[in-house]
Amino acid sequence: MNNLILFMGFGLSLVLVVATFVVWLSKDLLVAILGSAVVSLVASIFFLILQAPDVAITEAAIGAGLTTGILLYAMKKAGRYEDD
Amino acid sequence: MPYEIYGLTVYVYVGLIMLGVLFSLVRFVAGPSAPDRVVATDILTTITTVVLVVLALFFKRQIYLDVALVYAVLAFTAVVAIARFLEGGL
Amino acid sequence: MIRKIIAFLVVFYFGYILYSFIAVNFPFGERPLKGVAAHYVDKGIEEEGATNIVTSIVTLYRGFDTLGEVTVLFLAATGLGLLLAGMKEEEKEKPEPTLIMETTTRYLFPLVLLFGTYIFIHGHLTPGGGFPAGVVIATGYFMMFIAQKQFKPSEYLLSATESFAGTLYVIMGLLGLALAFSFLANVMPLGVPNTVFSAGIIPVIYIIIGFKVGSEMTGILAHLKEA
Repeated sequence: MNNLILFMGFGLSLVLVVATFVVWLSKDLLVAILGSAVVSLVASIFFLILQAPDVAITEAAIGAGLTTGILLYAMKKAGRYEDD
Repeated sequence: MPYEIYGLTVYVYVGLIMLGVLFSLVRFVAGPSAPDRVVATDILTTITTVVLVVLALFFKRQIYLDVALVYAVLAFTAVVAIARFLEGGL
Repeated sequence: MIRKIIAFLVVFYFGYILYSFIAVNFPFGERPLKGVAAHYVDKGIEEEGATNIVTSIVTLYRGFDTLGEVTVLFLAATGLGLLLAGMKEEEKEKPEPTLIMETTTRYLFPLVLLFGTYIFIHGHLTPGGGFPAGVVIATGYFMMFIAQKQFKPSEYLLSATESFAGTLYVIMGLLGLALAFSFLANVMPLGVPNTVFSAGIIPVIYIIIGFKVGSEMTGILAHLKEA
């Protein structure tokens, strides 16, 4: 594909990897929820690059607010910090 | 060939966008408190909207703008919800 | 420490795989198609009338699967309601939402509903369809849940909408069975492609799915808020 898309894909893959790493290792579950929101953003861009706008719009609609809301309600029940 | 380029301008756009992504990613990883990370996520959401618009320009498809519209309309909800949670009112 | 290194390697590997998907020079739309894919692309518009071919595959060619997906979502919502039925939290003092937030969401809420309606009405012309539209509508309701002090949608109305939409979907399928001898057949006139009133029963089914998914997701959020 084009050089431009390659450059953009490289940077966004880096964002994806770093955000996933933060989600995995963070003890603060609020930070983990934020990280999953970032992963959803990058996934939506990737679906659009791979020419799947239907999937991209579904991922955007779910990741933009609903997942964060459901996970926040669950976290309010379960407590914010993960114990060792 | 759908991947035709609008001169040098798209390169400039993508370079600046990636610089913004890099800086907000640094704040997302390093940010000592949760509100710092919330602001970084908000900036990344705005940048994502811009990236989707640039991709629609790049592939020359008007219908791709709908995806950007979804983010533009809905993305602030997550940040407002987290702000309400930190306030204690969710 | 060893756990962090393993985590980093695994995550980095998956990121590399994703990047290699982007980096491969895949000729979109330039490869000759074979079999059923060629049939969808060549005959899709004249058979079903939808400009967005993915839509006609999802709702008509593979319509029975979509009915199954909607049923799975219904089961998930019902299971969540059953799980959270006994967990009623005592009322705590919550801080008031600020004036800016309350006013903004009150004026933004109809616009979000309008946007969701746009997505499911134009499902056969632009990307989108019933499921994203329902999720957009539910996100609008979620916005109202967090920003308004007294906002409570009627639980009876939500479940009534959901059941009515589900029944209507099955009735549309049976109508196809009665008139064209195939479940979910396209029995309505196709119209001119690329206009809103085209593609037969696809807009009808997407309106039904939009209402169903929207009321289900709103019900899930309302249950979670109560619990």
